[in-house]
Amino acid sequence: MESGRSLKPQAQALKGHLDVLLLATLAEGPRHGYAVKEALREGSGGRFDLPTGTVYPALHRLEDAGLIAGTWSVLDGRRRRTYRLTAAGRRRLTDDRANWRDFATAVTMLLEGSPWPATS
Amino acid sequence: MAGNQLIDGYLAGLARRLPADAVDELADGLTETYLRYRSGGLEPDPAARAAIAEFGDADLVLTAFVRQAPGRRAAWALLFGGPVVGVCWAATLIVDRAWTWPVPRWLAPAIGVTLLVAVAMLVLAATGRRSYRRTQLAAGAGLVVIGLDGAILAAMAFIAPPFVWPLALAVPASLARLALTARVMPRLLRD
Repeated sequence: MESGRSLKPQAQALKGHLDVLLLATLAEGPRHGYAVKEALREGSGGRFDLPTGTVYPALHRLEDAGLIAGTWSVLDGRRRRTYRLTAAGRRRLTDDRANWRDFATAVTMLLEGSPWPATS
Repeated sequence: MAGNQLIDGYLAGLARRLPADAVDELADGLTETYLRYRSGGLEPDPAARAAIAEFGDADLVLTAFVRQAPGRRAAWALLFGGPVVGVCWAATLIVDRAWTWPVPRWLAPAIGVTLLVAVAMLVLAATGRRSYRRTQLAAGAGLVVIGLDGAILAAMAFIAPPFVWPLALAVPASLARLALTARVMPRLLRD
């Protein structure tokens, strides 16, 4: 884990993007809470390493919003809740990805002084 | 459970303050984390301490659950929407000279006290930071709000006062709040 570059102290900065990042971890298929947290950490090269316990309430909020759906199963005597993207969640992820690409392109061009790409 | 005293103690502390489903889910994740450290070669107690550190201390986890609790979000929504609905009804009752209506004298104070109780419950539910139980007050307040909206709409149908323009705002406002509150009630009651 790249603890020196971890965003733990900057959780507030991540907050505005947490929903789409959590949705993205479910794009490949269903995962349980701990697997979502691990996907977030591994997918970001260790930069987004949230305290695991704080990922669950965020998943519950996304479920309440109808963006993901959870189902219970039992594994080794433990109850496990597994989440998958709903159709609404998939649409939201597609939209947020497109918005992020536009935003990131604009910021990169501004910071690096690149010319604005032609739109036609 | 992982069969480790530290893990069990951590979960028992959360079980006193969070819903059972949430604790089951946390138990699964924490056990998974613990087992991963164990398979990495750590002894039971160091593995448990590492798993708990990775999970976040109990207060941090509790605060995260409280901040995103459905009751808290519903309470804020009702507190923000309440004044709008209230102003519409106040205008209706004043323009319609509600004090001349043939209703028992105790009714107005009873409605006022009920409303104040509901608002107090919503404020408690919306502002709690470390108590999940406080957010669950929103379910009770939601039922009171549904009861009040239902009662005033039924009273309007029963008394059938002369039409005044604020009524055209108050009735849809109450109906909208009634529908939205009823929609979130199953989630709040399940929590």
